[in-house]
Amino acid sequence: MSETTHQKLPAGTEPAFAGMHKWLQRGLIVCLVALVLEGALTFPLLAIWYGWPQLSLQEICSEFEKIRFADESRECIYPYPLFAPAEGQGQKTAQDVWGAQPRPKYERVEYRGLIKRREARLARQAAEKAAATATTTQAP
Amino acid sequence: MATTLTSNSTAYDAHQELSRQAQWRADKWMLFGTFFIGTAVLGLIGLPFFLYGLSLQIRAAKEGLSVRPVLVTLIGYLVAVDAALNSLGWALDLIGNHTLLARVFLMSWGNMFDGGYFWHYNELAIGGATAPGEKAWVIALLPLMFSMRIAAAIGFLQMKRWGHQWLVVTCWFGVIAWTGYVANMTIFFDVRYSGVVFPVVGWWLYDIFYITPYLAIPYLHTVNREIFTD
Repeated sequence: MSETTHQKLPAGTEPAFAGMHKWLQRGLIVCLVALVLEGALTFPLLAIWYGWPQLSLQEICSEFEKIRFADESRECIYPYPLFAPAEGQGQKTAQDVWGAQPRPKYERVEYRGLIKRREARLARQAAEKAAATATTTQAP
Repeated sequence: MATTLTSNSTAYDAHQELSRQAQWRADKWMLFGTFFIGTAVLGLIGLPFFLYGLSLQIRAAKEGLSVRPVLVTLIGYLVAVDAALNSLGWALDLIGNHTLLARVFLMSWGNMFDGGYFWHYNELAIGGATAPGEKAWVIALLPLMFSMRIAAAIGFLQMKRWGHQWLVVTCWFGVIAWTGYVANMTIFFDVRYSGVVFPVVGWWLYDIFYITPYLAIPYLHTVNREIFTD
């Protein structure tokens, strides 16, 4: 009886550990499928959340620069020169609460939020430009 | 007597040869699938090939051929996939941090799950993640632990004793890596999770599937080591 049970077990698996090995095998298959799905879906879903295809990848990159360095004038240089200094090196505009445990001040980006931020910024800049032009025209 | 021994050893050799061929036929499909799974984005292409190879191996075992145990196969390939996926992300962070790919996808992953890959990204001279302690983990684990783990997985899949031993070493290394990495994230919690779309729970839901080494360790310590050859 025990010999028959022993024969049914995979090579290397002793009867005492058969149950554990069975559950390990199930867990491993779950991890494999999950890793495959995560790997395949991460990039497309991230791209959609952050505004693709309405925003191009370079525009998304530029929006990230503006947020993390709190500077609306920053743009993503693409392609980035091979031996140039790091793009954020020496920056002084990022907003953080500094200390032993720093805390950034930027807000979380909601679904397609980069599109809204970009449109709001462009509208504001256009209005400022129009106001500046009107003031220049009116001045003698 | 000699005739009997000769015919037995011929039958044994024939069985071994058939088993070896069956294992290699299965492994070709699994290797092909694993290659694509390891690229992340092409993973859905690789999975059917991998599962087909696994089914070939299971079928060969049912036919009485001496093939690798399924758990050894799963652990070996999954450890390699786990290491490959981590290496992909961290190679981008260490070397390719100014590519558009890294600045969009690595940073969007960071903005969504782990601020360490968004906060002051590409401000260090070396570029990449600027979160306290993060670069040190990347530099230590990428060329050492993950590379060693892939090598160990290859030896393990070949049913070598050194493969089993080194998988034990590198998986326990992974316990240290997880502990240190999570502790670092906890201590610098504000950098890692402020302004992040899905903090903490999001990070854990995403990364929990990388616990393959934790599943491997109980097996490695309870498997009968006689099945691994010198």
